[in-house]
Amino acid sequence: MNTPAVPELSEKERPPQVHRRRYRWGRNAVVAWLTAVLLGAFLLDIPRINILEHTARNLYFHVPMWFTMMAAFVVAAYHAGGFLRSGRLARDTRAFEAARVGTLFGLVGLVTGMVWARFTWYRGTGLWWNFDPKQTMAAVQLLIFGAYFVLRSALEGQPEKRGRISGVYLLFAVAVMPFLLYVLPRQMESLHPGAEGNPAFSDITAPIMRVVFYPSVIGFIGLFWVLYTQRVRAAALEMRARLRDSAFRG
Amino acid sequence: MNWIAGAWAVFRKDLQLELRSRYALSTLLLFVLSTTLVVLFAAALGLGRAFVREEERGTVLLLRLHTRPSMVYAGKLLFNVLLIGVLTMVTAAAFGLLLGLPVGAPGLLATVLALGALGLAGATTLLAALIARASTGGGALLTVLLFPLLAPLLVSVVSATQEALAGASFAAAGEELLTLVGFAGVTITASVLLFDYVWEE
Repeated sequence: MNTPAVPELSEKERPPQVHRRRYRWGRNAVVAWLTAVLLGAFLLDIPRINILEHTARNLYFHVPMWFTMMAAFVVAAYHAGGFLRSGRLARDTRAFEAARVGTLFGLVGLVTGMVWARFTWYRGTGLWWNFDPKQTMAAVQLLIFGAYFVLRSALEGQPEKRGRISGVYLLFAVAVMPFLLYVLPRQMESLHPGAEGNPAFSDITAPIMRVVFYPSVIGFIGLFWVLYTQRVRAAALEMRARLRDSAFRG
Repeated sequence: MNWIAGAWAVFRKDLQLELRSRYALSTLLLFVLSTTLVVLFAAALGLGRAFVREEERGTVLLLRLHTRPSMVYAGKLLFNVLLIGVLTMVTAAAFGLLLGLPVGAPGLLATVLALGALGLAGATTLLAALIARASTGGGALLTVLLFPLLAPLLVSVVSATQEALAGASFAAAGEELLTLVGFAGVTITASVLLFDYVWEE
């Protein structure tokens, strides 16, 4: 009995090979780094400020989420552009997975922000959401990225076309990101630090907070990298499995 | 065919088609008597047609053969700017008359509306092309893609218009004007760079 030749993904679809051991080292480094950040975030002493109290520690989580989301979408836009130029479907997969993980970070950023606002800005009012400009704009930005997934699902089954059209939309969406996250919130009155007359880091920010904050940003971007690369590998495996499946069934 | 002549030909073609059928315009004019949002909704309805029409009539191939993509984009953009410009003027005039609004700074108001129309047309033209490629008659899809993208434009236009009505100087509304210029610049630049990928098969 002769078995059919095992089909392989074409050059266009195959992701580049990774050095397994180096990859594991990188992943473990991220895990160790984030563990240290978490310990520092909860154990190091911070000055108590009225109302803010211990919620100030949310700075280590809430803000890096947005930095990570922006980094993720820059990666996604880079690969979307790469797909448009090269037509390699692996690049489109990368853009999609980066956007997906990036959106997840954005959602976590939104939720951590809502909880934080509920117990500081809106303390005593019971409000969860009061259309603070920066919050609202961030939510709009997430809607824009959400539309990217809607667009992709409308083009299911035509991978080349889907990659091209959604890639163009993604690049467009990333181009307006600075307006929504930086330009507009700074022109409007907002409780958010970083708005008019309210610097992101001020004199009352204790130096110790920077010691945890910057490593936290790096750590969460590292976490994005791990999740994203795992998703890309899983997607490639899935494609290969589907290919073999159909080949063996004839 | 040189570039300007090509873009101009696409623009004239769309204009003539419109004058013959009056589809977009008659849809648009129905909506004229309400708020700034109206311009937005009407624009989504009318401008979405720009590329769907080509697909429906099967004229995409001809355009693709005879013109370069950037000519098509420029022509369509010009047509859309005109359409939104007319619509904005009619809406603004109607509001001015009906509500008796005293306009503090007419020059500033005109500038704001012109920049707003440019940004709106810039973003909508590319998305209309995307939608036409994605599916025929994807009106719902266009609104999902378009409205959140236009949020920054809407916010800036509204606050700048408020200042213009209150009679602010150009310097006082500088921030909003810069944002509008930036938005129109970014969307049109991105569209010019990306249009080739949408247009070519």
